[in-house]
Amino acid sequence: MTEERNDRFEVSPEAASSIAYDVAVVGSGVSGALIAKELSGRGLRVLVIEAGPSHDLTVAEYETSLRRFYGAASKDNNAPYAANANAPMPRSTDTTKLRPGEPNADGYLVQLGPLELDSTYTRVLGGTSRHWEGKALRMLPDDFALRSRFGRAADWPLGYDDLEPYYRRAEFELGVAGEVEEQDFAGLRFAPDYVYPMHGMPRSHLDRVIADDLDGLEVARDGETFALSVRGTPQARNGVPNAAYDGGRGYRPVGAVSLHQAELGERCQGNTNCTPICPVQAKYDARRTLFQALGTGRVDLLTQAVASEVHVDPASGRVTAIDYQAYADPASAEHVTGTVRADVFVLAGNAVENARLMLASGLTGSSGLVGRNLMDHAYLLTWALMPEPVGALRGPLCTSGIEDLRTGAFRRQHAAFRFGIHNDGWGWATGSPYGDLEELVDRRNTFGPALRRALVQQISRQVLMAGMIEVLPDESNRVTVDPRYRDRLGNPRPVVSFGVPPYTLEAAAFARRLSRRLYQRLGAEDHTAYHPAEPGWVSYQGEGYVLRGGNHWAGTHVMGTSPRASVVDADQRSWDHPNLFLAGAGSMASIGTSNTTLTLAALCLRSADTIAKDLETAAAPVTATAGGAGA
Amino acid sequence: MASTDLRAEFLALSAALTGFSVFRLEGTGQTDAYLTTIGDIVGEATVDALVSVHRGLVDATGGDEAELQRGLRRELLSDAKLGPVARNLVKLWYVGTWYELPAAWRDTFGPSLRDRTFVVSPEAYTEGLLWPAVGANPAGAKPFGYGMWAKPPRIDTV
Repeated sequence: MTEERNDRFEVSPEAASSIAYDVAVVGSGVSGALIAKELSGRGLRVLVIEAGPSHDLTVAEYETSLRRFYGAASKDNNAPYAANANAPMPRSTDTTKLRPGEPNADGYLVQLGPLELDSTYTRVLGGTSRHWEGKALRMLPDDFALRSRFGRAADWPLGYDDLEPYYRRAEFELGVAGEVEEQDFAGLRFAPDYVYPMHGMPRSHLDRVIADDLDGLEVARDGETFALSVRGTPQARNGVPNAAYDGGRGYRPVGAVSLHQAELGERCQGNTNCTPICPVQAKYDARRTLFQALGTGRVDLLTQAVASEVHVDPASGRVTAIDYQAYADPASAEHVTGTVRADVFVLAGNAVENARLMLASGLTGSSGLVGRNLMDHAYLLTWALMPEPVGALRGPLCTSGIEDLRTGAFRRQHAAFRFGIHNDGWGWATGSPYGDLEELVDRRNTFGPALRRALVQQISRQVLMAGMIEVLPDESNRVTVDPRYRDRLGNPRPVVSFGVPPYTLEAAAFARRLSRRLYQRLGAEDHTAYHPAEPGWVSYQGEGYVLRGGNHWAGTHVMGTSPRASVVDADQRSWDHPNLFLAGAGSMASIGTSNTTLTLAALCLRSADTIAKDLETAAAPVTATAGGAGA
Repeated sequence: MASTDLRAEFLALSAALTGFSVFRLEGTGQTDAYLTTIGDIVGEATVDALVSVHRGLVDATGGDEAELQRGLRRELLSDAKLGPVARNLVKLWYVGTWYELPAAWRDTFGPSLRDRTFVVSPEAYTEGLLWPAVGANPAGAKPFGYGMWAKPPRIDTV
């Protein structure tokens, strides 16, 4: 079916090709939307190119995605979003156990291994923020200086204090709910009197039960002692605005995206479905920012247009144009190829898509690092049954975590990690509650009232602690392209090589040992089990573990201080192509133990400032939106 | 629409198998959808057999719940043909998903084109009884409201 354009914002391929834009942005996710909003707010003319359709600028269209999720037998991260062979997406269900020497090309990603990655992303309006969970953790000061502090990886070309004002702005744009007092660990610094835009999400009953027994537990590591405590997790989810925000001016939450009046999205209702879709739009996704950008009247949106080639002037290195393939019907490969011209180009696909487009265009970078240093967090899931029902499957997916092991002298020996405490039971690890129902009905032969009682005992007592482990940059972890693997429009698909070193595995082993101790202290039945037949299974020092992907694709165009050792500078500007910015988590020199979105948002707000300066716009500059007290 | 008798007997059987009352089952609004789904896949004769076994047991046990449960195990759940269908009926009420029948069942009693794992409808998912059984909401629907997750769960005792 041919998709209709929304004439208010959307531009036709013909029109897009005929306009000289100040800035052309590829991708409508968090990075692209923030840059588009910032630059259009300063009077610049911006084109946003999105590979997927323009769906979901109305509540009615959003409901279609929600109902698609309800009706899907597999409720994976991309279940709400329509498959589109012109802009295919990875699905976790495509991940299978690899055999040595045999790539898995079943899904969109071609996986070479050695570790199978079940990470995904979403090629729709708003990008992967559509299915992100919303955790909005700042990186720690130590995370920017791994080389000088721990002799590992490389220091970032900027430090925490350089990025801190942009973190504040990002927390404003994303609408973060959290409590600064709970974030006083590991040297995390906030501006004086700073508060998050909204109060933290209330702790779940499960969090409280766990905190009762775990708070104060001392863990010795490499000469240091860490006292654990359960802390609220800052998250980009609408809660109760903090009246003290912005010097007492407060914060007004942004609700559902809609062309029409919609009383939705004002506050989290506890749908327990942040990933893959918040039914009431209380969770931030990039459509909010994009909608604001479109509201300036200076942003054109070109959807159903897949960026296919970046053209460079060989003499100056400057990008002259980007080609795109515009299709009218997602069900058909029929398309026209157009060209967009602009003064500045921003690639804001994601770490995988940015690298894929660069490499498909023959742009490997003078450092040869485009596509290399691919990172993601390695998740070690552990799960147990608490002694009493704790109310699993209620509330936002996570409201608290254990942050105390996110840095320390041990980082010379092994990776840092945090535990997220999951309110949604064992689903991520075991397929619960479906698997539990199948087990009780089909194998334990339970029915009637006994089945109901068994379900309560089996499900409501569930706790899952997800160890999110740092993976350092490694040039052999990479995205490449291979002409043998193409999608329906003929674009090369991403070919992914990924493995984790002993530095990460040592942390996995430590996290597993610690989780045993935590469950012992809680009196919880530890049901954690890893099987060699599962994708992501690794063996380390005689014990097996299963590592899962975190969807935190990063590092394929790392930033640094030298064109020889990095792809972009601290502003995310390509060393080789001065009017090209590679934006997003791909620029991160390392990822620490923070979900990448808040940091990439801060980086993109910083880049927007640079681009605006570059273009020295003639329009009267509009002051950047204040990001809170002291901003 | 099924005959009034069949529909009532289907609900009575479903109540016995799920542990939820007929009133609660009717409240999901899914009775007709499930009766149609199961009939389309395994055939109306099998549905008739299911309900008649239950009816016979109810008549024979005269309100003795333990005897009824015993009869359901002996005559329904352990029956090669009816057992897997009865278990599927339980899962249907709990999560709105029809599970593809076991391979042995398909081999013996004949495959149906519609017999694959699927969610009957978006509403069938949100009306699943698993969620209220454990004091939760179906992920993505029927939320309890802001901050309610901070309280202990309220779970009906059965």
